[in-house]
Amino acid sequence: MKILVFNLQGAKRAKLFANDQLENFRRLMEMGCFGELDGDPQEWNILGRHESHTLTLSEFLAQAGKDVTMFDDFTALQSKLKSGAWDCCQLNASFSAGGGSTDPYLDFDLGLGETLQHLSDDTLLAIIGENNFVLVASNNPITGYQDGSTLDLTPTMLELAGYPLPSNIEGKSWVAGMELNNASGLSEDEQAMLRERLSGLGYI
Amino acid sequence: MKKVIVIGLDGFEPKIVEAMLARGELLNLMKLREQGGYSRLKTTASAQTPVAWSTFSTGTNPGGHGIFDFLTRDTKTYLPLMALSRYEQKNAFVLPKVVNMRRGTPFWDLLSAKDVESTILRIPCAYPPDKVKGRMLSGVGVPDLRGGFGTPTFYSTRTGLHGEASEKVVTVSVENGKVATYVIGPRDPKTKSDHKFDINIQIDQPNNKIIIMSQGQPDKVEVGLGKWSKWLKVKFKVGMMQSVSGIVRFNLRQITPDFELYASPVNFETEEPLFPISSPQEYAHDLAMKIGRYYTAGMAEDHDGLNNERFDESSYLDQCRIVLRERRKMMEFELGRFEKGFFFCLFDTPDRLAHMFWRFTEPSHPANRGDDVSRYAKVIEEHYRECDEIVGEAMKHADNDTLFVVLSDHGMNSFQRGLNLNTWLHDNGYLALKSGFKPGESGDFFQNVDWDKTRAFAMGLGCIFLNRKGREANGILSDGDVENVQAGIVSGLTGLVDPVRSTVAVRSVARGADVYHGPYANEAPDLVVNFSEGYRVSWDTPLGGVPQGLFADNTKKWGGDHVIDPALASGVLFMNKKFSAGSPGLVDLAPTILNAFGVAKGAAMEGSDLLS
Repeated sequence: MKILVFNLQGAKRAKLFANDQLENFRRLMEMGCFGELDGDPQEWNILGRHESHTLTLSEFLAQAGKDVTMFDDFTALQSKLKSGAWDCCQLNASFSAGGGSTDPYLDFDLGLGETLQHLSDDTLLAIIGENNFVLVASNNPITGYQDGSTLDLTPTMLELAGYPLPSNIEGKSWVAGMELNNASGLSEDEQAMLRERLSGLGYI
Repeated sequence: MKKVIVIGLDGFEPKIVEAMLARGELLNLMKLREQGGYSRLKTTASAQTPVAWSTFSTGTNPGGHGIFDFLTRDTKTYLPLMALSRYEQKNAFVLPKVVNMRRGTPFWDLLSAKDVESTILRIPCAYPPDKVKGRMLSGVGVPDLRGGFGTPTFYSTRTGLHGEASEKVVTVSVENGKVATYVIGPRDPKTKSDHKFDINIQIDQPNNKIIIMSQGQPDKVEVGLGKWSKWLKVKFKVGMMQSVSGIVRFNLRQITPDFELYASPVNFETEEPLFPISSPQEYAHDLAMKIGRYYTAGMAEDHDGLNNERFDESSYLDQCRIVLRERRKMMEFELGRFEKGFFFCLFDTPDRLAHMFWRFTEPSHPANRGDDVSRYAKVIEEHYRECDEIVGEAMKHADNDTLFVVLSDHGMNSFQRGLNLNTWLHDNGYLALKSGFKPGESGDFFQNVDWDKTRAFAMGLGCIFLNRKGREANGILSDGDVENVQAGIVSGLTGLVDPVRSTVAVRSVARGADVYHGPYANEAPDLVVNFSEGYRVSWDTPLGGVPQGLFADNTKKWGGDHVIDPALASGVLFMNKKFSAGSPGLVDLAPTILNAFGVAKGAAMEGSDLLS
């Protein structure tokens, strides 16, 4: 699974989670899980610390031979996504400065909406603010509110995206031991729904 | 011409109309016939509402607009799909969009380009609606809140009932004259459970009525025994911040010994419909503010409720009257402010009513099973008289500079016997079941069909598809085999005799390639079965069933149908201007209407101006 991260430094939970004008953000919240994180907000991408070396998400993926690219604007990010040739993309934006003429949260939601158009279903999407997050992946068995440590985020993301977790990691994957939703084809429930939708026609 | 007014009467049958005219009835239509003329109107292959009205709209055969049947199949899964529109989602992270599967160029696009305004009410196969200069309200094709053609709910204190067709059954209990239950809303795809809206029912037995109390609008709705309630607006909370509104009507079947209540499918509410049902988007609600709430679902009449015997004929008739009255109000409101341009309003009720009351005109119909047919024998004719009155009302808005047209998309006929088309294909070696299974041991959706050995399968209302390599997921027929298989099915089915009645059930079988041409012809069924009067595909065929036996009596209350040989299912055409004799068809209307405004017909349009 591809990984797309929006790293929103300084983005406040109250402004992200409680604003129903952020249509795209809100839809993603409802699709996946979201919540609050304890710990240093800067450390969400840390997988493990060993003496002088810190293993981060991007370094782990790069070591696995994956294409990892950082962006600081939507336009460049979108053209990379459109190319289809990517494994992990991360957009970094700062929400702490302020002073702009437009609402940075609304601007972000707009850019997010456009960016989503260029994804395939096989993507894990993470939006990470200051001690808060939203995580969406089709196989994610967790929905609704979830809390934990900032250090749990990267192991959870890697497990959902299908990477074997290295030993000696600091955090704990939330989905460890859980069955992931990898169903394909029409379930019995979906077949029943299809039958119901069509048979109201009268002719059949 | 300054104005063109077209009144559509869905399924208006020429044989009934002609007999009534001959008896001196239907005075407004008679007047039209004298002013201009009358003719039977050639319908489409197949003779179905969405196919026929799409041809009216675009002026092309179905190969030019892509609608061949109510249903189509998914080539990847062999599952039936709704053919009229599709929900497309680029990926899992974005909202689905509804896409109209009627393609081609409708004539109102050409009018809009020339600044001619249109008012188009309840046109089928325009969901989502076309962007027109003027206003459009979508008709057949608009789903209910559960995304289908209509899911009603039946509440009963009887246990062990199961839902028929699309219906849901809710078992309730009466405690101290009260029932606590809920209206069923959309399915949550994540939790696979239904969203619910709580209602509390207070039974007033001495007065033979109930009061439904809820957080909806209004907070109290009264339902009399055997009567339809007013609309109740309900709201389903579908997410943390999101809710979806709908409107529902109830019919109280009985209070004792068992409490039984019917709820209509939940229709979109006009203020915040799930998907747009009008153009401009706010038009549907502006209209509701003027004339009151109205049915928004494409299939407004609750034929399923009657078919499943959840209410009786008189309740169904009442509901048909409600729908007709609503539609008439719409028409009168819009004609009242209509000064120039194109006007269209479709009345679906003649079709929905005749489907359900046809059996009363034929005492020997297998669905009657001893019912006294005399009580309802004249219902269809009475309804035709009401439609004639509506025509008269609309004619008041026609002056010398107006082309006034009344037409139907197809006729109506008897449906007494059904042919199990997949069983025929099985018995003749075209469709194979998995080893060990016999017809009758396979459910719908082609359960237990062995695709690796199947050369042809039937789906929809008389369509046969070949299982072709490179097209169907498990296709086995190569291009070179197609001709042989088609020829075999055509010669085997043509002239097929129903052994019980010793009559020919299948008049002919048309090859898709012979009847369809144009950019979407490649989506057409490979063969279309043309049934004789009195026959149709059986109830088990459209969704891919392979039942036991070739023919079955139609014992359902849905005793009339029109999906037979199109040559036997013509509609009617009345115009207030003299038009050329010959055999006008639905394809001719688009060029005729365009030419009335001096607008050239579209390049793909196949018909010709009937007035020239």
